[in-house]
Amino acid sequence: MAMKDEGNALWSIFGYLLSGMLFWGGVGYGLDQWLNQGYFLLIGLLLGIGAAIYLVWLRFGRE
Amino acid sequence: MRSLFRLSGEGEGFVPPSSNDFELPPVFGDNAFTTKPIILVFLSVILVSVFFLLSSRKAAVVPSKLQFAGESIYSFVRNDLGRDIIGHEFMRFVPYLFTLFTFVLTNNIFGIVPFLQFPAMSRVSFPYVLAVFTFVVFHYVGIRKQGLIKYLKDIMFMPGVPKPVYILLTPIELATFFLVRPLTLSLRLFANMFAGHLLLLVFILGGEHLFQGVLGLKLISPFAFAFGIGLTFFEFMVQCLQAYIFTLLTALYIAGALADEH
Repeated sequence: MAMKDEGNALWSIFGYLLSGMLFWGGVGYGLDQWLNQGYFLLIGLLLGIGAAIYLVWLRFGRE
Repeated sequence: MRSLFRLSGEGEGFVPPSSNDFELPPVFGDNAFTTKPIILVFLSVILVSVFFLLSSRKAAVVPSKLQFAGESIYSFVRNDLGRDIIGHEFMRFVPYLFTLFTFVLTNNIFGIVPFLQFPAMSRVSFPYVLAVFTFVVFHYVGIRKQGLIKYLKDIMFMPGVPKPVYILLTPIELATFFLVRPLTLSLRLFANMFAGHLLLLVFILGGEHLFQGVLGLKLISPFAFAFGIGLTFFEFMVQCLQAYIFTLLTALYIAGALADEH
């Protein structure tokens, strides 16, 4: 079981970080296009990474 | 000095390998369904079937070499990928995992088999289809096991989080399960096979081109070939590893879908 969790964590973390950046970065990019601004993409990416790291901690960090 | 290293003189220079080298023409006539990757995929199916039929046909308590080889691969998939990861319900999924592993492995290794020398998985459609299979399997298993509502709820709502935070987290969870997982699964396999094949092309075609150059370049070309051979062994490792990882992740996803809670 231990190996399963470790293996799972290894691959899931990458997936979470990627989808965090993709989704919230995408939202930021959309806002940039819509409102003609330049900083929502950055905010979105940071927010996405932050939320993804939080999610990783929720799933694998707290025991 | 300059003339010693001038690239093969007049006219045409070296054409570096590119993604065009993966667009192979049909083998038979004008039929788009007989390109090399497709033929190789069929060949791999035949090879895998014949090998495992032969190796299991005269199963004996004291195994022959062939039976031993077949059973080693089978027990590796069953024990290391099935039992250790999925847990007590693993036998249902061993046929799928086993097929997946041997199919991907054979097709990857075709990349370094003389005369075949093309990994079908470097055409992105093949990994896409395999990833779709895995996608359907693990979602279906999860929905069957837990019911649609509970399965989706488990994915979307991580327990122990203040409600407003779900606005932030739920889209990430959904994107992970329904988009990023199949995408990374297929692209990882595709990119590894694509890059590996390209790397071999660079060194071996480059070595050949250097050999056609002036004396100084002729002297260098053996090193390019030597690197090509070394990288072929490296590729063999990558090919086995990628087949393993693809199957491992499939097993992990199934295990995740079967688990009652996170």
